[in-house]
Amino acid sequence: MSMIKAGNIKKGSYILYKEQPHYVLKTQFVSPGKGSAFTRVKMRDMRSGANLEFNFKSHDSVDELDVETKEMQFLYHDGSDIVFMDPRTYEQMNVGRHILDDKALMLTSDIKVYLTIWNERVIGVVLPPKVRMTVTDAQDAIAGDRQTAGKKPVTMESGLIVQAPLFIKTGDTLLIDTETAEYVSRVND
Amino acid sequence: MKNWQRLKQDPQFRQQLLLREQVIDATRTFFKARQYHEVETPLLVSAPGAEPYLNLFTSKLELPDESSKNAYLLTSPEYAMKKLLAANMGSIFQICKSFRNRESLGGTHNPEFTILEFYKVETNYLELMTEFEGLLRSINGAITGQETSLTYQGKSYDLSQPFVRLTVAEAFAKYLHLTADELLDVKALSHKAMELGYATQEIATLPPDLAWEELYNQLFLNEIETKIAAFDQPVIIFDYPAPQAALARKKTSDPRFAERFEVYLGGMELGNAFGELLDATEQQARLEADLVLRQQLGKPEQPIDYDFIAALQSGMPECSGMAVGMDRLIMLWADATEIDEVLFFPASQMF
Repeated sequence: MSMIKAGNIKKGSYILYKEQPHYVLKTQFVSPGKGSAFTRVKMRDMRSGANLEFNFKSHDSVDELDVETKEMQFLYHDGSDIVFMDPRTYEQMNVGRHILDDKALMLTSDIKVYLTIWNERVIGVVLPPKVRMTVTDAQDAIAGDRQTAGKKPVTMESGLIVQAPLFIKTGDTLLIDTETAEYVSRVND
Repeated sequence: MKNWQRLKQDPQFRQQLLLREQVIDATRTFFKARQYHEVETPLLVSAPGAEPYLNLFTSKLELPDESSKNAYLLTSPEYAMKKLLAANMGSIFQICKSFRNRESLGGTHNPEFTILEFYKVETNYLELMTEFEGLLRSINGAITGQETSLTYQGKSYDLSQPFVRLTVAEAFAKYLHLTADELLDVKALSHKAMELGYATQEIATLPPDLAWEELYNQLFLNEIETKIAAFDQPVIIFDYPAPQAALARKKTSDPRFAERFEVYLGGMELGNAFGELLDATEQQARLEADLVLRQQLGKPEQPIDYDFIAALQSGMPECSGMAVGMDRLIMLWADATEIDEVLFFPASQMF
């Protein structure tokens, strides 16, 4: 753990706020017009998954967390937990589903992810930028639906629904962007 | 991708950037229809604003004899425009660039930004609120064809009624349950901040007036500014504590507060206005106090604009004035949350 000035908080880092680890989503300079500058930090409480915002005085000291990352393999969903395994030691680890939030739908069998660990506790999961997934249900597009012209919703193996081009069929393998949860391309094996 | 490159590919982005032209045109039309004169004052100045917390862009003016003088890019055109008011120009407005150093690139800030500054003579600050309401309606009319509502980030804001008005004291009472006396008291604010779990150790080491200001700002930003975003109308916050208004006159009915207001929409600050201080002696004392604070903060010394004091001494008409962040206004109709989305050349893409 190291102390930094709030003005130096970086997007993508982890800080301790109200004694809980928070992931920094966005920082912004705020000048109240009169008076010293503030740093507005949008962050995610890694315990509850809730997003919040706080204006730190730019000179405030903040604990930046030294986190450790560990490569792990996704095994299965277990109620409100997700079970991962260390591919070298076969050691298993349970991670609360709320830590992944919507990203839980990006997990496909055997996918490798990086767990962010602080104080021997998993506080975050980093996914590869893109994942390959199989289409489990692709209906024919409804004619005349101009709102989604050229696209139709398809269901992926994880339960994720994406807007894909009309030519996509059940059984196709697609590349999905894990950041935006959007269709990237069809994979031709 | 840089904005000019995106402009080449994306016809929608072109429409978005062209909103700047429409907002500026509508603004000019509004003021000219109300007999304001448009003026142009220098961007390169010898005495910039004395505001202790702003950071300056400094340069040198070199003369043919190889001597040089300090020169600055202005932080706002306020002093020059007030000299014109003292020269009996009547109501005036200006749309120009202003510069503030050490601010973030992007978000709602750009180090070089477009400011609208307008002054209306024989008008008090409460009447100026109505003038700004009219401006917002009028621009909305020019762009959307109606003056009753503005949609920003999926939310509709009612423009047809007078905007919500809350004094600073009312806001602190409503959201923090503090009385006006408590709001002005460093101990009460400190107690409240501790209760809310804020780090207050460093504040305790500051002189009381600085400590008060830090606490006031942090409570305002965290507990009030975030909440007024919930209104479905623009919100005017007014009657600021006197230490928060260096160029405003104090309220005659309660000199602990000053004639200042700010307008917010969806939590974004759009502009700041004052019932202008006319008293040259008081103004000089306040600028000198700011200079002392600048030194305490370890900022480079800078000259006071005595020409501005002289203008006040010569007599400035009763007036109120407002500074509006034009880029932020444009963001409203562009439905943008980032200033970079409405600038042709954002600083973040240049530096």
